[in-house]
Amino acid sequence: MATNIDFKNIWKQQSSQKPNMEELLGRLKKFKRENLRKLIVTNILLIITSIGIGLVWYYYQPQLITTKTGIILVILAMLIFLFAYNKLFMLFYKLDNTQTNTEYLKNLYVVQNKQKFMQTTMMNVYFIMLFAGICLYMYEYTSRMELLYAVLAYAATFVWIGFNWFYLRPKTIKKQETKLNGLIDKFEEINQQLKE
Amino acid sequence: MVFEDIYEFYWQKIFRLCMGYVNDSELAQDLAQETFIIVWQQLPKFRNESSIGTWIFRIASNNCLKQIEREKRFTKADLPVNLEEKKQESQEPQIQLLYQFISELPETDRIIISLELEEVKQAEIAGIVGLSESNIRVKIHRIKEKLTKRFKEYGY
Repeated sequence: MATNIDFKNIWKQQSSQKPNMEELLGRLKKFKRENLRKLIVTNILLIITSIGIGLVWYYYQPQLITTKTGIILVILAMLIFLFAYNKLFMLFYKLDNTQTNTEYLKNLYVVQNKQKFMQTTMMNVYFIMLFAGICLYMYEYTSRMELLYAVLAYAATFVWIGFNWFYLRPKTIKKQETKLNGLIDKFEEINQQLKE
Repeated sequence: MVFEDIYEFYWQKIFRLCMGYVNDSELAQDLAQETFIIVWQQLPKFRNESSIGTWIFRIASNNCLKQIEREKRFTKADLPVNLEEKKQESQEPQIQLLYQFISELPETDRIIISLELEEVKQAEIAGIVGLSESNIRVKIHRIKEKLTKRFKEYGY
């Protein structure tokens, strides 16, 4: 087949206005902010909550072991979640974008699979620990109430937990999974292109 | 190397690479800008292990590959009817067609042919993509054949 079309020449005719340096640097700041904001907000919120719960222990001096276990479980749940969340962020952040496409795609694929594990398994662990912690924590206070109120308090808690577990959790997981699975499949396909 | 010089010298090249990948000038501008943001951040870590060109093209092509994430979010169907493409219609039809055909190739082929058309040496392309030189040569040959065929379908 005769290749009489000068692709290189046509290719080079495409050009675009180069943004000035100020514009580029402005974008840089925004780029950094956007990436970090969610991470910082999540960290601060969970740490403040953990400290708040710790203060409850300090000021109200719970008597029963169930209360103490409950508090520890809730704080632990948040800390584990934070640890995993930060670790995942670092994985993405540290992904070396100066390696070859082949290596980069392989690593991106690995990170994405880790993310999938995080989003499902870690989310379940987090919810279970949080719920167990809350139920244990409530016992000391409800045991001092009249039976009817105690039952009501637990019923309300279980409704809330049920809503989270059976509605919010699967919905969130499903949404994230659909998105991630699409990406993972696509990266697998691109990896395949390189193996030919 | 000074960032300003790199920016000056590589902007059009990187823009074209991104444009070949997505065939959407606004998105290509974004991708090119992101590339230079990464270059800006990573430049102090550049150690001359590869040539600066290889290094920058790696960052740019990896950034393009990563953008699938964004592609998924706004699929073409969601956009108002080709408003974006209309804007470029004043351009030579040949240029438009070339970029359109390239953006329709498999992802890695888009990068390989873009680099080839940018007159990057085949050994360097191999170092950017991470395939052997002979493999790259075969691929380039096939891609050019494909593009020629597409052009012929359009009467060139």
